[in-house]
Amino acid sequence: MKIHPRYYPAIIIAAYVIFLLIGILLGFGPKEGGEGHGRGAFLPCLCLTLEVPA
Amino acid sequence: MTATVRKKHFSLAKSRRLIQWLVVIGTFIIGLRHILPGEASRGGSFDSFCAFGGIETLLPYLFTGHTLKSTNLLNFSVLLGTLGVALVAGRAFCGWLCPLGAVQDFVTEWTRKLLGEKRHVRGRRSKIILPLRLPASLDRPLRYAKYLTLAVILVASLSMVFPPLREFCLVRAVFSLKMTSLLWFTLVVFLAGSILVERFWCKYFCPLGATLAIFNKISPVRLIMENNHCNNCGRCDIECSMDIADVPHHLDHPECVRCMECLNTCAREGSLELKIG
Repeated sequence: MKIHPRYYPAIIIAAYVIFLLIGILLGFGPKEGGEGHGRGAFLPCLCLTLEVPA
Repeated sequence: MTATVRKKHFSLAKSRRLIQWLVVIGTFIIGLRHILPGEASRGGSFDSFCAFGGIETLLPYLFTGHTLKSTNLLNFSVLLGTLGVALVAGRAFCGWLCPLGAVQDFVTEWTRKLLGEKRHVRGRRSKIILPLRLPASLDRPLRYAKYLTLAVILVASLSMVFPPLREFCLVRAVFSLKMTSLLWFTLVVFLAGSILVERFWCKYFCPLGATLAIFNKISPVRLIMENNHCNNCGRCDIECSMDIADVPHHLDHPECVRCMECLNTCAREGSLELKIG
């Protein structure tokens, strides 16, 4: 399907913002703060989810 | 067949330049925030806004559950945003949203003006000596250096406390406003390289570009060439900032940053079309 070039910048920005928000909603936000070394909840949750059936 | 001159009511180049300026100003604001006191309490260091920081800290995070120092979980969100653009439109992040790419484009433009080019005519080879085009014998092997850089960083990240590239980080050198002697050195090399060769960093050394290159082959939003219309005039080859040879036949080239300068330069309506799917 052809796209008019005028929509191209909007497509790029929309893709960036949507995926950035998905990341933040998954818990990858700046909550830990400071000089980094953050520890997220996503990985432990994923591990727990995978361990439950076993 | 008579050539149909494309009527331009909308300038893709102007939109790109506007977005690039906004990205550069936004990154400078993040850098400014970085030098203000109390940064730590407001969540996230300068490095945590970097997409490549997400790649640098990915393996340590997967193996230990901790990000590297100076990076943050926010790096993964920024990386996800970048990968989202890549999934949809290939390396469009490099051509439109990367602050370093924007700075390189500005440096090239200013260099041309300083050397006496009053007005750049699209599709016509400039008489100005800079930027140079490296000979193929040097250019081709150097293009692989970015993949090597990426591999070295991924391996090194497993045994590092800080991100491996941190002391030479170009984004910090250009935008962070907290300079060290190594960052000054990096900045000078970057500016000199960008003056001499257009998109010097993107072509040869950018590890993020190396990561995104594969997406040019799979992204649904892409340019296609209509064989019947293209007359191989070569205007798009001249305008290509990544110096891709024979652009109409290499529209999915891994080096393409999807800046759309070829589409903008093409004078024959229908030769290049933007499509989805």
